[in-house]
This record gives sequence, C-alpha cells and structure tokens, in this order.
Amino acid sequence: MKPLQGIRIADFTVHAAGPFCTHMLSQLGAECIKIESAQRPDIFRKPHPVYGRTGPASFDQVASNKLSIRLDLKKAKGVELAKRLVAISDVAAESFRAGVMKRLGLGYDVLRSVKPDLVMVSVSSSGQTGPDSHFAGYAPLFGAWGGLGYLTGYRDGPPVEMRHVMDHTVGLNAALATVAALHQRRRTGQGTHIDIAAREVASSLVGEALMAVSAGARVERMGNEDYRRAPHGLYASRKADRWLSIAVESEPQWQALLRVMGKPDLASDPRFSTPERRHAMREALDRIISQWCATLDADETARILQDAGVPAHVSWNTEDIVHDPHLRQRGAIVPVKEADGRERAAVRFPARFSRSEGVGIERGTPRLGEHESYVFGELLGLSTKQYEELVSDGIIY
Amino acid sequence: MDTQLPLAGIKVVEHASSVAAAYAGRLLSAMGADVIMVEPPEHNPLRREPPFLGSDSTVSAVFAYLAVGKRSVICDLRDEDDRVNFDRLVSGAHILIDDTPVDRRRAIGLDPERIESVHPHLVHLSVLPFGAVGPKAGWQGCELNLIHASGEGFLLPNGLSASLFPDRSPLKIAGHFAEMQGGIAGALSALSALWAGEGQFVDVSVQDANVAVGAFTVQRYGDGSLEHRVSRSFRYGGVIECQDGYVELLTLEERQWLGLVKLMGSPEWAMDEALGDATARSARGSEINRHIHEWARHERVDDLVARAQELGVPMARYNTPEQVLAGKHEAARELFARVPIPGDGTCQIQTAPFRFGERPLPVRDWPSEPGADQELLKRGASRPAGQHQREDA
Repeated sequence: MKPLQGIRIADFTVHAAGPFCTHMLSQLGAECIKIESAQRPDIFRKPHPVYGRTGPASFDQVASNKLSIRLDLKKAKGVELAKRLVAISDVAAESFRAGVMKRLGLGYDVLRSVKPDLVMVSVSSSGQTGPDSHFAGYAPLFGAWGGLGYLTGYRDGPPVEMRHVMDHTVGLNAALATVAALHQRRRTGQGTHIDIAAREVASSLVGEALMAVSAGARVERMGNEDYRRAPHGLYASRKADRWLSIAVESEPQWQALLRVMGKPDLASDPRFSTPERRHAMREALDRIISQWCATLDADETARILQDAGVPAHVSWNTEDIVHDPHLRQRGAIVPVKEADGRERAAVRFPARFSRSEGVGIERGTPRLGEHESYVFGELLGLSTKQYEELVSDGIIY
Repeated sequence: MDTQLPLAGIKVVEHASSVAAAYAGRLLSAMGADVIMVEPPEHNPLRREPPFLGSDSTVSAVFAYLAVGKRSVICDLRDEDDRVNFDRLVSGAHILIDDTPVDRRRAIGLDPERIESVHPHLVHLSVLPFGAVGPKAGWQGCELNLIHASGEGFLLPNGLSASLFPDRSPLKIAGHFAEMQGGIAGALSALSALWAGEGQFVDVSVQDANVAVGAFTVQRYGDGSLEHRVSRSFRYGGVIECQDGYVELLTLEERQWLGLVKLMGSPEWAMDEALGDATARSARGSEINRHIHEWARHERVDDLVARAQELGVPMARYNTPEQVLAGKHEAARELFARVPIPGDGTCQIQTAPFRFGERPLPVRDWPSEPGADQELLKRGASRPAGQHQREDA
C-alpha cells in the first residue's frame, strides 16, 4: 500500500510549483483531483513561446497521476461544488496570487467551515501576508528575491536566473509541510493553513550564507569554487562540452587523485602540501588538472577516479540521465504511457520504500475533465441528469 | 518542547555528516521533532564547514543553520558498548537518519538488515549521494558533483551569463542546493513512511532528488528536445542590468507583455503590429532583448520593479544577501529571527521555508555542544507508546 493511500486532495494549483507539490503527494498515494476549467485551464497546458518551444513546457510530468475535472469558479454554483469537494477531501492545495482564493469565496476560513480539520496549502511567490504578497512571479523571480540568484554565477559575471528546479523545490517543500500538517492533524484533530512563499524557499536554500552575512561575514558569488575544497571545479575533456566535475575534500582523496593523474611529485610540491595551500593556489592547481583532463575521456576518468575514492562525475545532459542504468535500476526514471499509447520517460518520486508498495506514477496526463464521472458521480453523488445540467449551464465547463 | 508544533512528539536520531542528511533532520526539527545528533568522538565534520559566522569566527554558519534545535550525543559506533547505547537511543525514536556509506554500514551496525531486526518499528532513512542501491551506490559525491550528475549543472548558467561567457564551463547553483534537495526529499519520505505506520527502510538518493526537481528536462527530452544552457535562455527578458543592479524579467502572458510595453513608455519599436503575436516575439527575441537592455540600463532598480509590479509585469530585484536580510517584506513577515551566537554577538536565521498559519515557526535552541546531551544515551529517546500510528491500523 502507498503511504498516503486514503488521503484526498482538492487541487486548485496551476503553473509548476503548486502542481509539483500535489504531484509528489499523488505519487505517494494521495488521490489528487485537479480542478480547472476550459475557460481557465492551467496555463502550463499551453505553450509559452518565450521559452522558445512550440509545445507545452512542462505540463505532462506534473499532471501525471492526477484526476481532472472542470469547474467554473467564477460562478456561484461552481464554487459550491468546489466546497463540496473540499468537504470530502483532507487537503486543499492552491497556488494563485495571495487573496485570489478569498475573492473566489474559497478562502481558508470558508473552506474550514465545510471541513473543520482541513489542511490547506497555499503556494505563492511572496506569501499570504506582507507588502509584496500581491506580487506576480515565476521561478527566476523567486530566486532573485531570495538571494539564491544573486549568489549563483561566475565571480566576474552577473547573477543567474533559477529555472524550474526553483519551482519544484518549492513544491517539494510544500509537500513536506503538507505531510507534517497531516501528522499534526492526526495528533490533535486540528487542520492548518500552510503558507509557502517561493522567495522564502529560495532564501532558505542559502540560509547559511544569510546567517554568515548577518554576523558580519562577506559572501559573494563564487562560480564553481568552494570555501575550502581544492581542486574543485569543472574540467574540459577531449570531447567538446563534456565536462568533468572533481571535488577533493580530504588528504586521502588528494593522494588518490595524484595517483590517478600519475603525478606523485605534486604531493611534495610546497604549493600544494596542505589543504589550505591547495586552496590558496587553486588557480594554479586548476591549470594542472585542466591540462591533464584535456586529453581524457570524461566518463572513463570519472569511473577511474571514483574507483580510487575521489568524488567525480561528468556534467550530465538529459540524454545521459534518461539512459543511465543506475537511475533506471533505482526506478528514478520510469516509462509512462499516455492515453494515446505514446511512451515517454518520466521522473518517479525520489525515494525507495522497503514496505510501502506502488509509490510512483500510475497514469499519464489526464484530459481536461477526464474523471468527472467518478468525481461528480461517485464522490459527490450527482445524478447524470444533474451533471448534464451543470455542463449545459457552463458550471462544469 | 512546543507541543503546538506540527511534529511535536516525533523523535529522530540523526547520524549524519553530510548536508543532505543533516538538512532532513533540520527540517524535521524546525517543525517540532526532537532530533538527536549522534556524533563521533572527533565530532560532526559539519561543525568545521565554512562559511563562518563573521570574518574572524570559527563558528560554522553551515552547521549552525543545519543543527539549530538539535541535541548532541557522542557515540563511537566502532565500539561495541557504544553500539548498545546507540540501540537504546534508537529504540525510543520514530526515525533514524543515516548517511554512512553503504560499504561501512555493517561494521558499525547500521546496515538496514540489522536495524530492521532490532528496531522493527523504526523508519530508517538512508540519504546518500547516489542512494543505497544500484550500480553507483558506492560512488562519492560532493555538492559540485551532484548538481552536475543530475542535469541542472549542465544547464547553468543561462540567460545573460551564458551569453557573456558562452565558452566557460557549466556552473553549480550557490551553496548546497543539490544536497538540500536530498534533505527535503528525505524528510518528506520519512514522514510519509511514518504516516504509513510501519517501520521500513527508506532509500533516498541526492541524485534522484535533483533529477526529480529537474523533471521538465526529462519531459522535454521525450518531446524531442535536448536542452542546453545556451539554448534554454528566455527569448527575451531574463537577467537585465540596470543603473544600480540587476532585475529579473519574465513575461509569459499576453497581458504581461502589454504591461511591459507600457512600462517602457510604449516605444515605437514595441508598437510594431507584428509583435502582437507571441510566436513572432519569440522569433525576434534577440532584437527585443537588445531594446529592453538598452532601456533598462538607464533605470533604477527599485523604482523600476515597483512600477513593473504595479502594471502586473513579473519583475524582481536581484537581492544581495544584505538586501534579503533587510527586506521590508521579509521584516513584515518576521522571516528572520535574531539569535545570540554563544559567546560572540548575534546573527539572523530563517527558521523554515514554510509556515503554519501567519507566524513563522519559532526559533529553536542553538545547536548543542558536542555531547551536551550525553545522558540521553543512558535513558534513550523515549518514544511515546502508540503515537503516530496509522489511523486505520
């Protein structure tokens, strides 16, 4: 049995961060009912040319496993049906701008009145309170606000924008908080309203740097460098754009690297005789490693270095990931079949459980409204006639 | 213990020397779990990890951030007597977090088989760079290796940085982004296993966690697109340099583009009817971006962002750490709490990336000194009987 079997989520989330939260929970076994309308579908169902692609950017992955229904939340009857759905759910998830759910008549206070022990999770760019709570934002903006974007980049370059990993780590955090709130509900019988501000997730990911700065330390962007480890970088190999990452953090690893390089003489080089000296002389060290790597096969060298106990890995592209035997064996990458029979690679929930069975993706992307007979009929008890009337009235639309 | 916190009553024993596993414990601790660090006699190496709390300090900000709220016992798992103490401690816990490399586990009694037989009730969370199972289970990985093993490193930088330095190596994200994803996934998985109500081994890989948060590139690969850091830049927008700093700009919706045109003062080039079509704008992205960069260079960041958000244009200032700490929004939300550094000044800390209700989670105690809670080894972690079992069990 999946760990969250029996938990139901009324899922109002859109874009990437919120849907990734409920996607994770659905892979853990929660029944996730995604609520959209034909008029206002999740905007990630459609393409956004600013990304330079003609297809939807990302919808399939995060919509996998979910059940889909339509409801026009601009209409009173649509809101009433949404409330009925929340009343039989454990969790309500949403990711509109702060205040939108309230304006729709679906704020936490209202939903709590129909489901007193509800766990509501609200994902937004800047949180439910505060002067910027109305700000619009996407992943790159979250990273910019939270300091993560400023601190990422080459030392002599500009900040770097965070992309969908930023959205998804927000969703992963939101999923964690949701399960914690369920534990609290189990213990106390009380629900809660979880407030996840994406910019605060970004700042939490550089929490140690912010602490250091608040205590008077200076922290700047530092490319691939590390505060103490050297060598620590990306080194070009003989194949174009095939980079090898090497990070030496201990004396045995340094000695092992020198053995693999066939340069035992460097062990007695006074420039590199201690970790502190190696760090101070890291640019000279990087030149030596770069020269050595330039003629090598990166993948083979990574294997040799790992065998010798040195942390190393090729900077992988997506093709490497999709075809990797290790990730396949772990079930981290799995095939998913869409309704049209097409098979694609997808990413499974990132953990293996020894007893809880079935964690992962069962279904591909749902068609808009695909599961209305189950949700409106079986769960909410509407007759076929009632359903058809709601469809013809544009409530289920 | 604050009984109002979501995880009050949950006991966790953490045997961790990596950021990933320690961050799993940290997140559980922030939500009220009682987390006890088991340190070796030479102490947790994270205590020595830079950056430090101030220019002359030797107090690790990494450790302080990761270990706040945790208690500490010293226990040498190479020693048989200490292993008995350890088992006593673990017998009172709900969750054990461990990041010992797979090939060293048996020697110190932390192999899943032994733990399961002695502590069948326990959620045994393993957090390793490449997981506990699979051909690479024995591989080592630091933050740098892991962000590059999971695809995101190869795709960075993008935008302005990629255009300025197209031939440079790919890049990591600042700090410990990749390892922290392993920690978040670990905490989520452990709580989910605990919810299920039966002891079990939970195998989390930092690489898997990062592949998961990078999932879209896998979908796009299935759609026939192999992403690259240079080609995945936004066609226009992105990191924009202003007079006094950088802003991020991203317009996905038509109304946002129209807002941007208005923000720029409806310049003649932007009034070209052909640019009314999103696909045409994408095709002419470089040209649009040249105009945006030229215009923004004369603007001041704070004024620009305020006007942009007023018009519904998604734009944000690239905040320095100092600006994040001093932010009005952050202050209004009480995001950072000021805490004393034992023996030397104060610092600010973010307690968690989420909150339950309007107030942030409370700051928990400064991490214990090594072995400060040694008496716990004698009396165990005292897991309340019957707590946190599955409702329908």
